[in-house]
Amino acid sequence: MKLPFTVGIFSLIILIMLGCRPNTPNRINKEASVSSISKLPENPLEMTPMAVSLQSKAKTMSTLYGNSMASQRLKKGADYASGSVLYLVTWKGKADPDWFGARIPDQVMAVERVSVDSEGQKSYTFFKGPAWHPGLNFKNEERQNIMLSMPLAASPGI
Amino acid sequence: MKFKIILCILALVLLAQLIRPKELSSAKAAPVNMLAGVPKEVAKVLETSCFDCHSAQTNWQWFDKLTPANFLVASHIREGRKAVDFSQWDSLAIPQRNALLYSALNAILSKEMPLSSYTALHPAAKLNQKDTGLLKNYLLNKAVSKPSAVENTANGNGQTFIKEVKKSPNGIGYIADYRNWKAISTTDRFDNGTIRIIFGNPTAVKAIHEGKTNPWPDGTMFAKTAWKQQQAKDGSVYAGQFVQVEFMIKNVQRYADTKGWGWARWKGDDLLPYGKTVKFDSECISCHRPERNNDYVFTTPLDIKDFNKK
Repeated sequence: MKLPFTVGIFSLIILIMLGCRPNTPNRINKEASVSSISKLPENPLEMTPMAVSLQSKAKTMSTLYGNSMASQRLKKGADYASGSVLYLVTWKGKADPDWFGARIPDQVMAVERVSVDSEGQKSYTFFKGPAWHPGLNFKNEERQNIMLSMPLAASPGI
Repeated sequence: MKFKIILCILALVLLAQLIRPKELSSAKAAPVNMLAGVPKEVAKVLETSCFDCHSAQTNWQWFDKLTPANFLVASHIREGRKAVDFSQWDSLAIPQRNALLYSALNAILSKEMPLSSYTALHPAAKLNQKDTGLLKNYLLNKAVSKPSAVENTANGNGQTFIKEVKKSPNGIGYIADYRNWKAISTTDRFDNGTIRIIFGNPTAVKAIHEGKTNPWPDGTMFAKTAWKQQQAKDGSVYAGQFVQVEFMIKNVQRYADTKGWGWARWKGDDLLPYGKTVKFDSECISCHRPERNNDYVFTTPLDIKDFNKK
């Protein structure tokens, strides 16, 4: 009689303890991932982050990425050479739930690509993100220039 | 017999009252000036909820003064003032004042502060929604750092190079190749006018993709880089002057004393190591404490998928 009672009480206590354990999920910002955008020839997030920008009116935030050729500019400051590929990913910003005073990326609004071919010709491609809205009014030629002349986020090297 | 024992205990308790923390013998609440530049109602909220432990203006209640409780109270006040001291307000520059207010509000919002053991006996210090609303509203409207206007952008000049970077006081060496890591997130810190990229090394990126980030595996490294916000003519804000880079390096055994992470920070263009003593990293941990259920990491990372592996 006594044993089943003890076992019962113990399993109840263990159950309660498990139930009270803080919920610790793996936190990942899935909404801000670019993998939902079809037709992207490569994943810009795999490239080297080179510059960041904020547009306070549109409440968006962008990161400029470059392939290995483009990212030479970070180190040497040279123009984007043939073979350079640049991506500008623009997210809708949202309040950081963990820090009052910060904003972090939410859904992707647009992905833009500029490549420099072997003759130095530049071409621009636009990819619509899930949070795109026409009010953003991106004009192609302008966007290409914005991307090519973005001030880079420079950090000291050794 | 029973009566004698009770009498003895009573005598001991009374005698114990002669032993008191030194803070109590010199405890005269030194009134703190109203926080200059802060509206009265906002300052009042902070005074009611924070000043007992975070300023020289401590109101000891009779039950706070009883031995042995008074030793606990005194140690809380000592720790509290060391972390945040509103008595220093007048000597702080505006950006430091704003940083203090933002960190106070974040401690309140994450329920770290005021301590529940304190509010249990001092219920008036509890903040309601109206109180936090007042603080939020004040900070969003009056204490937001504006980006500086663009100086002639030194764009395209390439990196500045320095010869040698000293180790962090806790022995951690500078990790030079973090710019080749992936960006796992970016942050607009409008509270202090910086913009940040959080870089993750390949171990971190793999852990994110496999959904194994709590806890993060050994070998994970993050570099959080901050630049001053700088506004261009078209209104866009870019990364301006380099402020600092901070590292978190996961190794459960090596960094067992510091929550499984090695912490380090290098500041400015000459990458000067931050911290005066070996134990400087207790500062890092206390700020990251609200994230203790997320392995002390604030960042919710982006998933970086390899498109070739479908």
